[in-house]
Amino acid sequence: MNWTWFHKLGSPKWFYQWASNWGGRCVYLGLALMAIGIIWGLMFAPADYQQGNSFRIIYIHVPVAVLAQSCYLGMGIAGFVALVWQMKLAPVFIKAVAPVGAVMAFIALLSGAIWGKPTWGTWWVWDARLTSVLVLFLLYMGVIAIQNALDDPIFADKAVAVVSLVGVINLPIIKYSVEWWNTLHQPATFKLTEKPSMPMEMWLPLLFSALGLYLFAAGVAMWRMQNEVLLRERKANWVKKEVLNHGV
Amino acid sequence: MNYRSFFKAEWLSLLRRKQDTLNALLFFVMVIILFPLGVDPSSEFLAPAAGGIIWCATALSVLMAVEGMYKEDFNDGSLEQWLTSGLSITYLVFLKVLVQWLMVIVPLLIVLPLLAQMLFLPFSALWVVMTSILLGTPALFFIGSIGAALTVSLRRGAVLMLLLILPLYIPVIIFATGAVRAAQLDMNYSGQLAILAAISLVALALSPIMAAISIRASVN
Repeated sequence: MNWTWFHKLGSPKWFYQWASNWGGRCVYLGLALMAIGIIWGLMFAPADYQQGNSFRIIYIHVPVAVLAQSCYLGMGIAGFVALVWQMKLAPVFIKAVAPVGAVMAFIALLSGAIWGKPTWGTWWVWDARLTSVLVLFLLYMGVIAIQNALDDPIFADKAVAVVSLVGVINLPIIKYSVEWWNTLHQPATFKLTEKPSMPMEMWLPLLFSALGLYLFAAGVAMWRMQNEVLLRERKANWVKKEVLNHGV
Repeated sequence: MNYRSFFKAEWLSLLRRKQDTLNALLFFVMVIILFPLGVDPSSEFLAPAAGGIIWCATALSVLMAVEGMYKEDFNDGSLEQWLTSGLSITYLVFLKVLVQWLMVIVPLLIVLPLLAQMLFLPFSALWVVMTSILLGTPALFFIGSIGAALTVSLRRGAVLMLLLILPLYIPVIIFATGAVRAAQLDMNYSGQLAILAAISLVALALSPIMAAISIRASVN
């Protein structure tokens, strides 16, 4: 397999051009997929035999919750890459993705609370999943906080990489500790290894909205990374040319 | 400077700054006092909650103690000496955390029986609390040392460090209080203690490396 595309990603300039091709496409395709998934899920999918129509919030809740975890995993990997290979784009990725992940974790908590009220009869329980997503949200906030607190950009990159990496090591520990501690939440909806436990006509729209959200988030992350690259490389010639030719 | 002289110097400088140790201890006592006063002083509430109260107070006072552990070294240039000494920063961090741990945890364990009585903790559970503190607090110190290293160059880093590190303390608190609760219900608690020890060992293996990276980045 040819790895040059991966090595090229280490160059901010190449990434910028690559992302200006793909960022917009990802966002719009993602929005379209999400729209299909959500309209399908909300209007045409059959109602759940136990929860009735209230289960339909799953088409927002599950994609958002899965994405919140994936974002942190990505940040952890980027943190490792930043510390070991010192790739220039890895800290940029962390900085761009952390707020996205934090928002996803927050929406997951919020939609979970709204879902919990009709099904469990309470907005919040100290349950394993809820607690670990809350902790995930706090970890995101920690990453954002230290990014904003440190003025020296090189040091800030290192610090953020360390925090993301430590957080990702701790994430499974936190997850299992709270899972063994107390649980009410149903088990995971998406499992790659097993057949889905819900009927196809309920599961497909979920797949659409999850894929759409992933694409959308990837596109937004690319846009945010482009901005950050422009800021960091503002002294480089290609940025000057880019800004003069295309405006900001 | 070699590891031995470093350890001795750290040890002596902590011994001569007794007030810091005392402050951490007083903070621990204060937090514990807040619970009966703030929630409910009856033994029906306190006896089952005692393990959790003690652990929350421990986590907070450990954070307080760890938060400033590199401050002095940063301000007087000792951290630069670490970097130029040619010694492994990872190992220096390990030694420093070890000294800190001894200086905070030994006094804490000494006052613990007294506070446990005030919280109506049954005597049989006291041993479990003490064992869980011995096994679990190394993780708190080692993880905390990363946060301390990251925020050492900030003038007001304490709150930031709390925000960064406290979420990582949650597993330790859950398993430790789980062990105490199991002991109070006459159930087997060795599993929780084993996990505590495992978390501490992982933290011991990985945190000094992370803290060393952070120190290098902080000093430059």
